[in-house]
Amino acid sequence: MSLKNDKFPASAAFDVINEALNSSEADRKDAIKQGNAVFAFTLKNSAGETESWHIDLKIKGAVGKGLGEKPNVTLTLSDDDFGKLVTGNANAQRLFMSGKLKIKGDIMKATKLDPILKKAQTKAKL
Amino acid sequence: MSFMGGAECSTAGNPLSQFTKHVQDDKSLQRDRLVNRGPNGTLGGFRSAGSSAPQDEMMNGFLHQTAPLMPEQAPLPMGLHMDPNQGVHLRAKSTSPPAAWASDFQGTQAAMEAAFNAPPGAQFSPDDFARFQQINNPAASSSRSSPMPTQQQQQRPMMGMGGMMGMNMGMGMNYGVQRPMYQPMSGMYSPQAHMAQPEQQQQQHHEPEGKGKGKVVELDDSQWEEQFAQIELQDKKLQEDESLAMEPELNKMDEKLLHSETGYGDLESIWRGIQAERESMNDLDVEDDFAKFDSSNFGGDGLGDWDRLNGRIADPIVENYLFEDENLFRGQPNPFDEGVKIMNEGGNLSLAALAFEAAVQKDPEHVDAWVYLGQAQAQNEKEEASIRALEHALKLDPSNLAALMSVAISYTNEGYDSTAYRTLERWLSVKYPQVIAPKDLSSAAEMGFTDRAQLHEKVTNLFLSAARLAPDGDHMDPDVQVGLGVLFYGAEDYDKAVDCFQSALQSSELGTSNQSSQIHLLWNRLGATLANSGRSEEAIAAYEKALSIHPNFVRARYNLGVSCINIGCYAEAAGHLLSALDMHKSVEKSGREKAREILGDSAGDADARIEAMTTQNRSTTLYDTLRRVFVLMGRRDLSEKVLTGVDPDMFRGEFDF
Repeated sequence: MSLKNDKFPASAAFDVINEALNSSEADRKDAIKQGNAVFAFTLKNSAGETESWHIDLKIKGAVGKGLGEKPNVTLTLSDDDFGKLVTGNANAQRLFMSGKLKIKGDIMKATKLDPILKKAQTKAKL
Repeated sequence: MSFMGGAECSTAGNPLSQFTKHVQDDKSLQRDRLVNRGPNGTLGGFRSAGSSAPQDEMMNGFLHQTAPLMPEQAPLPMGLHMDPNQGVHLRAKSTSPPAAWASDFQGTQAAMEAAFNAPPGAQFSPDDFARFQQINNPAASSSRSSPMPTQQQQQRPMMGMGGMMGMNMGMGMNYGVQRPMYQPMSGMYSPQAHMAQPEQQQQQHHEPEGKGKGKVVELDDSQWEEQFAQIELQDKKLQEDESLAMEPELNKMDEKLLHSETGYGDLESIWRGIQAERESMNDLDVEDDFAKFDSSNFGGDGLGDWDRLNGRIADPIVENYLFEDENLFRGQPNPFDEGVKIMNEGGNLSLAALAFEAAVQKDPEHVDAWVYLGQAQAQNEKEEASIRALEHALKLDPSNLAALMSVAISYTNEGYDSTAYRTLERWLSVKYPQVIAPKDLSSAAEMGFTDRAQLHEKVTNLFLSAARLAPDGDHMDPDVQVGLGVLFYGAEDYDKAVDCFQSALQSSELGTSNQSSQIHLLWNRLGATLANSGRSEEAIAAYEKALSIHPNFVRARYNLGVSCINIGCYAEAAGHLLSALDMHKSVEKSGREKAREILGDSAGDADARIEAMTTQNRSTTLYDTLRRVFVLMGRRDLSEKVLTGVDPDMFRGEFDF
């Protein structure tokens, strides 16, 4: 089952994050410890449609569709910007400052998201 | 207070005008002080000897006293973090000892305060005090009324207040209260108005004070010694009490963690929830996942996990190197030379690693073989094996430059930042003992989460000063540049890191890092830095360069795949990753022929035996990344096929590699 929605190209990242969380038990526990919240994302594509996903790092350590149960924080941004965010080409703080990213809920929790999104990126090695 | 306000605008009301007046005043005072240094010698003597010496003593006493308190407090918060469930227990139970502790502490505080109050009282009898104030008044009042008491600030440190403040800090909040008590005193002292007065007065005023001091010193000594003895005794008792009270707690906690009864129940219910959800989702790979979950330590020991979580902050635990069971080089007379030859020819790295394994198995004290083994494994994208081998080499020879640098880079890759920084510091102390002596190295003990930035800054500065030792741009030590590059890379200061690697490549000086057998590593490092700073296109060019020098360089191939992912070329990425895996999987053609030569067996038999030889040290990163690529491509069918150890040949039809 894929979490990706073809209308939202960047949503493939949710699959990747899910994969990263599932790949090792240690990573998952680490992520839960770090995040300890449910992060919901509402993406808006170029056609103006919206769709939601959530990363549950409170109990399950998994990614799912929809806003999830009582998300601690909801991030609303365009599909495009989300793509940049997960590839590391954009900085969440900067997106937030420039108004491209809207955060509802516990903003402090949103700052914990960064290391988790980083998990989905593969870093080159020296 | 505004500068431009109506009535305030008058000369008298304007703070600026007062300020200039005051500045003039100041200057005269300072000049006075500077010029009259000679005759005023007695004054200086009185200040430093009279007032700071006993306070130094006090401070030492305090430092000794506060030190044992600290470790006592430290374990508590740690314990609280360990596990939310147990944490509550701990907090609830532990309230009693701290309460007692606090009251005791307050007792000592009261005693301490009394002790503190005593010296000033003795120092200034009311009589002296009044006289002193009278003398000071003319100048003091003028300086006080001004908005900028610069004088006071200047003088304060001289009065031994520096020591007092340090003490306050050491004592923490409790004693901080006392600072205001001392401050007015310093204010009284500090204008040093008597300096501006005729000398006669000074002398006159000075003498009685000197007498007072003498008394104070005696008083201090006896009183403080008593005080400290008492405090120390109390301290010891407290510590014992505390540890006694804690022991059953800790024991209980240990038991709980071992059995993890409470945690298990919770997890089980959660687990059931997950199970139900999974089933409702009708997931394809449900069974597969379950098997994985069951086998993993889902409700397992919390302590092990805790260790692992902390691993990134603390030093990693390096286990012994795992050797392949089968090694075709085992019978060879000189496997080390064989290995070096393979490395220099750009041959298969798995094969080279095998050769070095044989070499160290033959002679476990062969440091170079261990270093080569580590480097081969790192280039072969097997970081863990590499760290193990290099740490072994460092155990044999703690000052091996090549091993230190390589292991620092491996630690950086694995995210053990502070370990990497300290390793680089060690490297520097071996190569440039004039910059940092080996005895001045940072110890592992002082490593905390917050210290990391500090450590980074310190090591970076050391490397910069080492770089400055070089005469000019072209003749810098490329190894220092590589070290600096790694440091900047660790701090995500990629632009600077790129500069460092580039100058290492351009340096005309020959170091270990830019010799011809290592140059491909440098290109790869440059590429990786570029890639992580978002310049994937430039990075790909650097990787290509590295691969043209050393086509079997698995790490560069892997990095190339990562960069392709980042620019969205998933098919190419998959191709690169598969070819990297292919290099792992089958000891490549040239390697095979070589192996056949060595083995002298019939072809088919040799192939099978070579296959069996490269199973021990496997890199999961390649498989993980490949799986990720397939997911990104939307090919879940393919990603499910990627299991650790799978033969990349099965994807040959779909991808070109």
